[in-house]
Amino acid sequence: MTKKTDQTASFMVRFNQIIFEEDGESKVQWRGKVSHIQGGEDQSFSDFNDAVKFIQERLADLTLEATKHKSPEQQDSLLKKSFSLWKTMAKEGPKVIMETIKDPRKQVAHFQDQITDFGEDLMEKVPIDQWRNASRSDFNSIKESISQLADEMKKLNAKVDAINKPVKTTRATKTTKKTIKKTTPPKKK
Amino acid sequence: MGHLKDKLQELKQFQEDAIIRIQTLGQFNLWRNNEKVDSKQFGRDKAVQLLQYLISNRQRHALHKEKIMDHLWEEGDDRDFKVALHGINKVLEPERPSRTEPSFVIRQGISYQLDLEKIWIDVEALEQYIIIGNEALGEDLTVTKSAYKSAIALYQGVYLPNRIFEDWSSEEREKIQVLILGAYVILAEILLQENPLESIRLAQCAIAIDKTWEDAYRLQMQAYIIKGNRPQAIKAYQKCADVLDQEYGIDPLPATKKLLQEIESI
Repeated sequence: MTKKTDQTASFMVRFNQIIFEEDGESKVQWRGKVSHIQGGEDQSFSDFNDAVKFIQERLADLTLEATKHKSPEQQDSLLKKSFSLWKTMAKEGPKVIMETIKDPRKQVAHFQDQITDFGEDLMEKVPIDQWRNASRSDFNSIKESISQLADEMKKLNAKVDAINKPVKTTRATKTTKKTIKKTTPPKKK
Repeated sequence: MGHLKDKLQELKQFQEDAIIRIQTLGQFNLWRNNEKVDSKQFGRDKAVQLLQYLISNRQRHALHKEKIMDHLWEEGDDRDFKVALHGINKVLEPERPSRTEPSFVIRQGISYQLDLEKIWIDVEALEQYIIIGNEALGEDLTVTKSAYKSAIALYQGVYLPNRIFEDWSSEEREKIQVLILGAYVILAEILLQENPLESIRLAQCAIAIDKTWEDAYRLQMQAYIIKGNRPQAIKAYQKCADVLDQEYGIDPLPATKKLLQEIESI
């Protein structure tokens, strides 16, 4: 049986927010670093997609290592299942984060349109036009989005657990500046 | 601001007086009554790991035994935990009479935590120094400088370097790195006029931890200019631009570019 430690990958993600003035306009930049704890490698990123790609590559290595004694067909199938966990994260996560960072007002307008679809009671508009550039609360909401994404990941993991039986739990620890994501792919049968 | 001065003094005194002192930065060492304890006294590495785990989670009160075991043991049972805990208690209190409660590792039911009032730990002290330094900032620069210097003196290297591949230690390592990066940069800024050479050194320490820390490059540029060394100031900018391009594919911030323009116009 493969050891639990061999089935675990932990990642530390550091986000460094930089707010500055340029051409009379307030701007924000995010610089980050993602580290793979068990492997010791790290990568800087300014595009969250690069961080996700870094994580995916390490997880694929983990799944390949754990399934190296299986047939190519079984290995391929397990890899696909393993990747399915990441589809939502890879596709939607960076999109939401980057769009919110780029233009919080547009995101709010988008969410508002979705909310107003639910009925008259929610028709009262948020005064978006009066909003100024990205504020602290905008960034707090980004942090919440990241937190929600982590929760969604947990739920997804639980669902795959239920389908594939022997899967370890996912842990996620958050602080204001850093995130540890620990993900365990399906264990060897 | 007198209370911050007192707190600083108390913290320094605690380092002198504590019966148990633990170093986690750069390397792991433990002193009992000012005598360094050989790691063999722990009996087995799991006892050392358990102590390090309790240090890493010292601010989360009362750690549940099951949770600790889940992190440290592949398939451990109660006995493994007891043996490791016994190893720690034997090192911390070799003379403790049997059937008495340990005084350094506090037990509440099946939860455990270290008594931080009795054990001096470098990472805890470092954090406390930085808190005092931050509180005194803008009010009493003498206290700020002293507190930051004390914190920096404690930073002998990364947190638990022999556990860098253990995920339970990574959160503390990251937290300390971010704290010390801030301390290096703030102290370098405070000392800019008074001691530019020290500012350059401190900024270099920050860059050694994170080569993309742009504030540190900017401080080096300023310090070199104060020292009248224009070529080095320009070189620091170039290094910064190269690193940012290589790591992120971005340019330095407008503030850094503006500083370069000022330097070039001298």
